[in-house]
Amino acid sequence: MNPSAPASGLSRRRFLSGSASAALALAAGPPLFSIGTGTGVEKPLRLAVIGFGAQGRVLVEALLKVPDVRIVALCDIWDYARVYGERLLKSNGLEVASYRDIEELLAKEKDLDAAIVATPDVFHAPVTNACLRAGLHVYCEKMMSNSVEGARSMVRTMRETGRLLQIGHQRRSNPRYLVARDRLLGEARLTGRITAAQAQWNRAVSADLGWPKKAAIPADVLAHYGYPDMHTFRNWRWFKKFGGGPLSDLGAHQIDIFNWFLGRLPATVVASGGSDYYKNHEWFDNAMVVYEFPLAEGTARAFYQVQTTTSSGGGYFEQFMGAEGTLRMSENPSLTTIYREAHAPSWEEWVQKNYLRANAAPAPEPGAKVDARETAALATYRLPVVTNKAIHQYHLENFFQAIRGRTKLNCPADEAFHSEYAIFKAIEAVETRQLVTIDEPVV
Amino acid sequence: MTVPQTSAVSFSGPTLAFLSLRLWLGLRALIAGVEKFSARVTIQEPLLGADGAPDPSGAIVEIEKKVYGLSHYHALPDTLTTKFAEEPLLPALLTRPFFAALGPVLLLLGLLLLFGIATRWTLFAMGALYTVLTIGLMLIGQDAGVSWLAVHIGLVALALTLADQNRLTLTRA
Repeated sequence: MNPSAPASGLSRRRFLSGSASAALALAAGPPLFSIGTGTGVEKPLRLAVIGFGAQGRVLVEALLKVPDVRIVALCDIWDYARVYGERLLKSNGLEVASYRDIEELLAKEKDLDAAIVATPDVFHAPVTNACLRAGLHVYCEKMMSNSVEGARSMVRTMRETGRLLQIGHQRRSNPRYLVARDRLLGEARLTGRITAAQAQWNRAVSADLGWPKKAAIPADVLAHYGYPDMHTFRNWRWFKKFGGGPLSDLGAHQIDIFNWFLGRLPATVVASGGSDYYKNHEWFDNAMVVYEFPLAEGTARAFYQVQTTTSSGGGYFEQFMGAEGTLRMSENPSLTTIYREAHAPSWEEWVQKNYLRANAAPAPEPGAKVDARETAALATYRLPVVTNKAIHQYHLENFFQAIRGRTKLNCPADEAFHSEYAIFKAIEAVETRQLVTIDEPVV
Repeated sequence: MTVPQTSAVSFSGPTLAFLSLRLWLGLRALIAGVEKFSARVTIQEPLLGADGAPDPSGAIVEIEKKVYGLSHYHALPDTLTTKFAEEPLLPALLTRPFFAALGPVLLLLGLLLLFGIATRWTLFAMGALYTVLTIGLMLIGQDAGVSWLAVHIGLVALALTLADQNRLTLTRA
């Protein structure tokens, strides 16, 4: 599939027709998606994994732990990755059909139920759209695309085909995040009025990815898929034709949490970023973004930063700061903390409900306060929710349960598009150096 | 239960003082022994909503609970065990059997004292046990613990001086 090909050639008439079909299909209810045998014995869902790079491997490792699914086909343009995948799956008792090209896979594999798409961003839209049109349900990694149009086409194709399209914002299925959003912020309103939010992902300097020289893809094959050379193929995240840069790769997860937890898109964004360290990358290596969220109780400002040249500053987290407390979430439980302001009402009720655990108060350090205006140190709590599965497994399981008609998708493409729109706008703000207004995205 | 000396039991001030000491020292040893079979363990349970049903997120929460059992036996906190192991005057040959017996011995002494069985010898054995513990704590520099045990030994000594006032016992001694 050529990355320069248009993501969708959908006409208004086809879209309306497709939307009507999708609406009818959804109205028909769960049996449309149920492929259970009805005997209590689950027929395994047959899956194709498309794209077996670093993220594809992460997803496959999680898939191998999910019951009642079976990977039957694997697709990647790199022979080296494909052979590695075949061996990995064989060592787990799975013989798979292996393909270089997605069109060939879809032409030959006629009994697939779903596709897991983990290609470079630029291929997400064309590959996903092709899979949906072939009748497959699709789990596609985020970002949906490296262009708004690409992402929009995926939503349209989902609606047109009536198939399910889950986007890989996996925090939305993580029980820790669900409890934080629905119980701590929703039911308990621990933070009080939220006035600010902050998130970041800071990573240390890393070398560009290499490849075994013997395993290099022939130049004509690279050119067929739009790559000028092997370095670009291996480091596609840094190139604008293929990916969206760090705000897209890392920020997408966390800015999505801003939008999901605060329940709406921001109204405006200002940002600054630049390619100041790496000399052979197109995308900026650092960015600082400020959104304004006009919430019902008043405006909240959200600061996001991504750094790929330092791991300092506390790692990666999303933090919601209110008048009575602060919720700092991270996929890493050790980086998750809830802070209670001294004047806040007692949280004992929520401790008794197992929503929180109080940490032991640190002994006060004599002379620690150097300015009379300093606020007293905050009491800290931890989230007692544990995750016993790989972080992507919950989201994949939600996808499979939705295919079987037992639940709704936690991140359907239309919701993901709505949220990712704010990320596209942040990238626009970095590039234009202007305050950018974020209107409601139209599909 | 044997009522010694006379058929009429008299409860003078010194008698009540002794019984108070016997009760305190007995319970102290018994509970100290029981606690050596306790542990705080973390268990995982579904998070429940207000209606008692599992949270829709499927969240599992860790809950810390105190439990008792033979498998949880520990003579001393880990920090003290490490310090004892590092003390050259306390070879493992001596400390290992001592620590293995400490919990059961405290339970036994506590029960003997509460039921009034061989009260004088029980008190003496208790004093000896606390003295041995004190030696260990002196060697590893736990001055607060030494002071704490000194209070215990003082109470044991006071109880022995009042032992003639013993009443409500199962044996005469």
